[in-house]
Amino acid sequence: MLTKKLKIGIVCPYGWDTPGGVQNHIRDLAEFLIGAGHDVSVLAPVIDEEKLPNYVVSAGKPISIPYNGAVARVLFGPIAYARVRQWISAGDFDLLHLHEPAIPSISLLACWAAEGPMVGTFHAAAKRQKVIFAIGPILEPAIEKLSARIAVSEAARLTLTDHLETDAVIIPNGIYAKRYAQGVPQNKWQGNTIGFIGRFDEPRKGLQVLVDALPIISRFAPDVKVFVAGPGDIEETKKNINPQLRDRFEFLGRISEEDKANFMSSVSIYVAPNTGGESFGIILAEALAGGACVIASDIPAFDSLLGGGAYGALFKSEDSTDLAKTVIDLLRDAKKREVFAKAGQIRAQDFDWDVVAEQIFSIYEMAIVGGSGVKLGSDSRSWNRFLSRDEEKN
Amino acid sequence: MKTALTLGFLLLLAMWYLSFLATRLDRLHHRVETSWANLDVLLQKRAAVALEIAHSDLADPASSMLLTGAAYQARDADIQSRSMAESGLSGALGLLLSDGQGHATELEQALLRELSFLTEKIRIAIAIHTDAVSSTQMVRKKLVVRTFRLAGTAPLPVTYEFESDVL
Repeated sequence: MLTKKLKIGIVCPYGWDTPGGVQNHIRDLAEFLIGAGHDVSVLAPVIDEEKLPNYVVSAGKPISIPYNGAVARVLFGPIAYARVRQWISAGDFDLLHLHEPAIPSISLLACWAAEGPMVGTFHAAAKRQKVIFAIGPILEPAIEKLSARIAVSEAARLTLTDHLETDAVIIPNGIYAKRYAQGVPQNKWQGNTIGFIGRFDEPRKGLQVLVDALPIISRFAPDVKVFVAGPGDIEETKKNINPQLRDRFEFLGRISEEDKANFMSSVSIYVAPNTGGESFGIILAEALAGGACVIASDIPAFDSLLGGGAYGALFKSEDSTDLAKTVIDLLRDAKKREVFAKAGQIRAQDFDWDVVAEQIFSIYEMAIVGGSGVKLGSDSRSWNRFLSRDEEKN
Repeated sequence: MKTALTLGFLLLLAMWYLSFLATRLDRLHHRVETSWANLDVLLQKRAAVALEIAHSDLADPASSMLLTGAAYQARDADIQSRSMAESGLSGALGLLLSDGQGHATELEQALLRELSFLTEKIRIAIAIHTDAVSSTQMVRKKLVVRTFRLAGTAPLPVTYEFESDVL
């Protein structure tokens, strides 16, 4: 139902040229909307302004701040605020789509500055923090300006309702399911193989859990191999692996999107041992779309993505013995692997951009009803309205 | 002199805060209205689709009668009886749809598809509307808002009771 052509402004809180789930989501969404004929402008902090796609507008260089137990590359301050206001007033948008508007970033600034149809998407899932009692009253007037709120997962929605007493509609992150379904199995990755993709030197990605499980796994499956793809410090990670098992691990570094699809369709088992901090788990959706048999830790985001174990096996988070047991079970049972892979591939269709973008767009349609486009807030502040009315009379 | 200045400043601050709250409320009321308008349009559309289904071969005479009645009731209901009428329509539709639709023709399948599409949208619209209403109610409960009658003459919005499980 993508019929009416809209002028849409999207605000990305994190540095555009640093890798991350939110940035990927915004890039795909923007490109999908442009493909559907809409006019899209993305405002984002940018480090290197030379290689920007033409729909991205730079808001300045991001700064690194510690946030929520990780380093966030965001941007705020008076100069950024001026740029945000300028972008809004020059853009003449029908609608603003703000991502992660509850963290200190240009998304929050835009939410503060603008008046009119606005949609907010909340990505993060975090435990309830006491600090929210202090900042809640500041955030609330801004967040309540949003005409509609989207959460990318049940975990993200719970975070939002916990912190700000407001509800959200759940729309998952999107993937290009068809691209992953076209993956071609590669001989080098087939056999008794386990795949892992992610920044493996980050503890919360859980590679260590897999490393600890390997001694048991290799006892039952002596020829097992683990392929680890993604950026990270390989030497440092290897030090933590039992020397006798080091040759079982092969580090591939960063791989292309195409290789990722091939990778997912080749490995016997894809393992996501993340220990937490995951809100949606886009990589799992991609693995399912690629036809991989998936084993994941039972953190809430993965549990709901895998339908409580219907589309992939779950193991007790951070429990390497349980992981080993699950892996051995599935390595021995090719039929069960196939059942999981088939069910998973069907499940992955729910996350295809065709489906997800349509859902997002129907939220857009609901947000713009009765609205007359996005303006700067100060234009419609009550006293200014009085003044301008007087001027009209004169 | 100094006390006068301080008082003046405090007065200004209070005025700014009141106007800030009033703007907030105004915006919230606007949100309630637009989200209701959305929901209303979708519900009207659903009633129209329900009527078409009632007139198609999908429905046997008895369910057709039930459905037609429910659809007209939902269309004509005033604001108070609206949610009951809409729930009635949901129930009638649910009854018909659970009764097997194996022999649907292409045209009828298109109708059913449209219905499930609408149902999905209605579910979202309800969530958005409910959220707008509860935020508004929360701000209107504040003592300052009530004392200074910042809401003006706008009626207190009420949550739309919708049995979403029948949808």
